[in-house]
Amino acid sequence: MGRYLLRRLVESAVTLVLATMVVFLGVRALPGDPARTLAGEEADPVAIDEIRRQYGLDQPVPVQYYRYLENLARGEMGDSLRTGLPVTETIRDALPVTLQLAVFSLAVAVLIGIGTGVVAAVRRRGPAEWGANTVALLGLSIPNFWLGLMAILVFAIAFPVLPASGFVSVFENPVESFRHLLMPSLVLGTGLAAVVMRQTRSAMLESLSADYVRTARAKGLSGAQVVLSHALRNSLIVVVTIVGLQLGGLISGAVVTEQIFVLPGFGKLTIDAVFTRDYPMIQGVVLVTAAAYIGINLLVDMLYSVIDPRIRVGGAAL
Amino acid sequence: MTTVVELPTPTVVAPRSRRRALRRVLRNPLAAAGLVVVVVVLAAAALADLLAPYPFDLVDFDATLQPPSLAHWFGTDELGRDQLSRVLHGLRVSMIVGVMSVVLSLVVGVPLGLLAGFYRLLDPVISRLTDTLLAFPFLVLAVGLAAILGPSLTTATVALAVGLLPLIIRVARSETLRLREMDFVAAAVADGADDLELLRRHILPNAVNALLVQATVAVPLAIIGEAILSFLGLGVRPPIPSLGVMIASAQPLFRDGPWLAVIPGVAIVVLTLALNLFGDGLRDALDPRELRR
Repeated sequence: MGRYLLRRLVESAVTLVLATMVVFLGVRALPGDPARTLAGEEADPVAIDEIRRQYGLDQPVPVQYYRYLENLARGEMGDSLRTGLPVTETIRDALPVTLQLAVFSLAVAVLIGIGTGVVAAVRRRGPAEWGANTVALLGLSIPNFWLGLMAILVFAIAFPVLPASGFVSVFENPVESFRHLLMPSLVLGTGLAAVVMRQTRSAMLESLSADYVRTARAKGLSGAQVVLSHALRNSLIVVVTIVGLQLGGLISGAVVTEQIFVLPGFGKLTIDAVFTRDYPMIQGVVLVTAAAYIGINLLVDMLYSVIDPRIRVGGAAL
Repeated sequence: MTTVVELPTPTVVAPRSRRRALRRVLRNPLAAAGLVVVVVVLAAAALADLLAPYPFDLVDFDATLQPPSLAHWFGTDELGRDQLSRVLHGLRVSMIVGVMSVVLSLVVGVPLGLLAGFYRLLDPVISRLTDTLLAFPFLVLAVGLAAILGPSLTTATVALAVGLLPLIIRVARSETLRLREMDFVAAAVADGADDLELLRRHILPNAVNALLVQATVAVPLAIIGEAILSFLGLGVRPPIPSLGVMIASAQPLFRDGPWLAVIPGVAIVVLTLALNLFGDGLRDALDPRELRR
């Protein structure tokens, strides 16, 4: 076990270093000269050369990369070209918005996904399974940006019951926060709910045909007791892992969802940075996303191997 | 003295089992319906120039923002352009980007996966590269690439292919790892087959089923990905009518022309739903474990 964890830790560290290289080289591959961008369109060549020297852009690429890593280690990611604010600070302000959206969406996904998954596995070949399967298929087939627009069309324009945009922190006003995040999190959560439902159904079918379930039934336990305390409990291991591994999908989905519902989160920051060619910001948001994703994957892998030692290797990603 | 034992290789069996699987798919009503819809959409997209009642970019200021009618089945937009014609051309873009990005990811990913699974020395290098790509969520990667390459149909295809690459490499690698331990591979080695022949004639044909299933999952993903990229302004650019672009430009007209946002979205849902239904049927037909359930 110790060796496995150590190996995963080293692998994650290598992946993180490779990710910094990809981000560093990727930003340098962006069209346009960053020194010219920093100096402004009207700047003369002397000013541009000065900026190039000042930011070390005249140094060889490996030296620039080393400096980049040095700054990263100090938690410095430069200043935004658009606002002039430090990238680290801007990211820190945007993160709570995305985290709240992610937590709400996860709750939606887990409630809908596990509920329908259990029903689909227990009531096989009936209208309940058909219904649950249809919901899952629709969840996988409907693009969430369009679902978001349709939700705005119905719940904010045709029947104005929910706000179409904006964000209120849960710590400021919990009720308003819930009202503002209800539509975005339902929209973002349904796609994930479909994945959770399919995994729950599949794991439940496996559990329900296992010997210990037959034993539990033979003991005279009620149907609900067998399903909830035996089959579901054992199926949850797989489901929890899948939820962890799908968090990357949630980050992707948040990019679009935040754009549609005008939420000032991490995803909106990413898109705005790309459109304004705010290189330090692009570098910062992409790297933080990758680091978070690598961290989550490592954590899920570790939890997985602790909970169920039969399963090793990171091949569980779907 | 060596004794050569002739062993039947499953490479001959694979196509026959796939034909059986296809028959099983067609017996599944939902999967068959999915296949029919996909074929119809493919045909409509391919023949968009013939089927579209108007040129997709024909502006008619006398017929702006018309709701669906007999003259314009899907209505018209703020420039009086016929939405049915634009949806048909948009579906063509969706299919081209969806299929081409998956083909591209297969062309690059399958050899990499085969090499990673076959040569232990290459495995850590290719696996680390895959992990690094996986560290960037699909859309973040696509957005980053679109920023580097500039928005276009080619960019969307390449960005989506790169996003799908880790999935393909992982499937090809795990299938190779599984197959190289099989008896028929050992028999081929004993028969004097070199590495290239093993990979080409024995391992790849038997990995096709798993790759086929992965491809059917990937195409609807790529179609939705293209719509998202175009919606965000990072994919196909106007005047080419992508369904994502159509939905994006319908946003300011929500109150006056809601059909402009509804209809292209329904088109995406119908196409991806049909592909998912067919993909599910295919997976069930190819996976014996599913059959037992």
